[in-house]
Amino acid sequence: MNRLQGSSSSAKRKRELALVSDTLTDGERVLYNLILSKRDMGIWSGDMKRETNLPDHMVKKSLKLLQSKGMIKEVVNIQNKARKHYMAAQFEPSKEITGGDWYSEGSLDKELINVLKNVCVKYISRQKVVTRDGVLDWSRKSGVITAEVSNQQIEEILRALVLDDEIIEVKSTGYGDFENVPVGRVCYKSKSKGGVRGEPKDGAMSSIPCGVCPRINFCTPDGIVSPRTCVYYQKWLDF
Amino acid sequence: MGSQYGLKFAVHLVTNHFGKIVAKVCETLFRKGPLSLGEIIRCTELTPEQVKNSLLVLVQHNCVQAYVPADQFRDEEESTVTVEYLALFDNVIHRLRFPKFLEIAKRQLDDECEKVLDGLLRDGRLTLKQMVERAVQGKENPGAIEAVVRGSFHKLLKAHYVERCPAPEPVVSTLIKAEPAPRKRGSKMAKKFEAPETIEQRVMEAALPGEAIRFAVIEYTGGNADREANSDDTIMVNVGDNSGGIANEGSILWRANFEEFIRHLRHKLLIENERKRLDDGAATILSAILDATKNVEKKVKIEKSVPLSLDSIFTEVTKNEYGRTMTIDRVRASLVQLGCPQRNLDDSYSIDLKNIVEMARNEEVESIVLKRFGGDAYRIFRLLSKSNCFLETDKIAELAIVDKKEAPRLLYKLWKDNYLHMEKLVVTAAKQSRFMLWKVNKPVLWEYVLDEMYHAALNLSLRLAFEQEKDEDLLHVSRDKLTPTDKSGEVNSVQKRYLRLRDVLFLMGSSLMKLDDALMLFHDF
Ligand code: SF4
Repeated sequence: MNRLQGSSSSAKRKRELALVSDTLTDGERVLYNLILSKRDMGIWSGDMKRETNLPDHMVKKSLKLLQSKGMIKEVVNIQNKARKHYMAAQFEPSKEITGGDWYSEGSLDKELINVLKNVCVKYISRQKVVTRDGVLDWSRKSGVITAEVSNQQIEEILRALVLDDEIIEVKSTGYGDFENVPVGRVCYKSKSKGGVRGEPKDGAMSSIPCGVCPRINFCTPDGIVSPRTCVYYQKWLDF
Repeated sequence: MGSQYGLKFAVHLVTNHFGKIVAKVCETLFRKGPLSLGEIIRCTELTPEQVKNSLLVLVQHNCVQAYVPADQFRDEEESTVTVEYLALFDNVIHRLRFPKFLEIAKRQLDDECEKVLDGLLRDGRLTLKQMVERAVQGKENPGAIEAVVRGSFHKLLKAHYVERCPAPEPVVSTLIKAEPAPRKRGSKMAKKFEAPETIEQRVMEAALPGEAIRFAVIEYTGGNADREANSDDTIMVNVGDNSGGIANEGSILWRANFEEFIRHLRHKLLIENERKRLDDGAATILSAILDATKNVEKKVKIEKSVPLSLDSIFTEVTKNEYGRTMTIDRVRASLVQLGCPQRNLDDSYSIDLKNIVEMARNEEVESIVLKRFGGDAYRIFRLLSKSNCFLETDKIAELAIVDKKEAPRLLYKLWKDNYLHMEKLVVTAAKQSRFMLWKVNKPVLWEYVLDEMYHAALNLSLRLAFEQEKDEDLLHVSRDKLTPTDKSGEVNSVQKRYLRLRDVLFLMGSSLMKLDDALMLFHDF
């Protein structure tokens, strides 16, 4: 998937395609028109058979031909990766098909997300407090982020970091760290005071075996699973 | 009252402290609601003697309150009055916190107060005379000791950490609207658990001495009563003649006032959480406000702090060393941080305490989710918890940046373990489509988590007993054999086992205390 493809060449391409389409058989034309009509949503080959009533082998053959002529392309549909999904060459798959900005080849681009999260967290922790515009400004100018990433994506990363509890969203009070920020402006602040990123929080329950035990609902004082025979405790108390 | 595991844990505590027979009586009262002596005997199949003694123990330790249901009196033919016994769940669980109460008395007051309180906690209820006797026993210089005990007792009373015992058998109207009378105990479990809650409140209210005498001492030395009354906030009720006073001293029963300790612990949690979330300034201000108003708080679980004007807040704040460095502008800024952007109409500030408690609860549950279900589920849960409304599966995946294929699986897991609420929505437009909507239903989830916490506390406590039992022989080995003596620092196998046991007991003990903080957070705060 090429997210950066420009549109300047599309007019020229259309003309070329018109020429090619003259040489199509009837079956191929019917299929092509159907695929074209689905625009950036594309269509599953199974649905094509149903809608055109063309026999199976014909559909297969025609799709191959259209593809070799560069008129259609196969795309991954996030809703069902196993199905063969086709789209006219001049369209880019819609968000419903790709899953959105964060998806590449039908799955979440976790690597990109983690890299972005890391650089944002590092930047924010160096800054004490920083406004959203401050982060956006930095992301454009600093050159740290090399991938093509929109402002909206940076905002999404910030929101995810808040949900991760890595940074917190606060409103400026105008005092202390907020001295240079207008009162009421939304700011981000690093959460961990020198702590390691991703360190589990030590809640009362989460720091004992029973608190996170998958078998707690089966555990009774005299049952087969019981505190006396519990393997999780054995591990926990193995000094 | 308590949840299913709450009751099990309470019974476990009673068993540990008072033995199986007393626990049986207590459990029966928990499960069936208030009962008369005859009914208890029938239900437990214990001898009348055993039941009577058990009740005496439970009453002595404030775990049971007796009362007389008022509706009996309408029945004119009935000549004898039946007393009913009500088990007090909270007071049983408070037994777990005694070390914390003692620590408070020691820190806030002094070692001597801690000792007097310790006596009260051990014996449940004591008269002042008994407290003195307890302290002077086998000691030299009883006169001096007596003076110290009296002094400590007054300090505890002044701080409201000690109170007069409730009336032994108050008459209580048990007719509570829209609820079966206790006589007609429903057969369903749910009913049994619900009914005592309101009855419990009524009984406790009726038994509680009025504010004026709850923390009042009957003065025993007529002579200097006036002087002391002026120098002390404690209300002195002068009974006139000395003999009456001394007689009272031997008959008025006192006990630890759990409510005040719980209030103290709640305040501490509120202050420390704000210190962590905001800064020392905000914590100082909150602490000053709570300190100034604690005596007018009507109950422990107040939702908003008692309104206070900026001037009085400032005066309170400057009593504290850190507070003295703050300007009035700084105080105002901290109040804004604490969520008081503008003052009330009458120029007073009041802080949303319930919100702080909610945040602390969120954090506890979130940490469970993180550990049990992982980082992606943690983000999803926090998203739903913060938005506090229904969200659709795909929307959740998008906002929390979780793989769209992964999100439904995680949501389902959270739902299956009761951490989420789910609703299906079928839309029939051009095409029929089904949506799954998800939400964190806090009141229900809090109850569920609390029950799990009681379960965990019970398990932890059982395992602790098991560990002790396993190495019981070590308890009979003399001390000096247990610590490594030779200089090489080598440890033999007995010493090794002892060191392990010591670490195990420490870890488990401190974990139980921490878990108890969480129990209070979800139940008492
Ligand atoms: S005792 Fe063991 S098995 Fe039982 S709930 Fe706790 S950790 Fe799980």
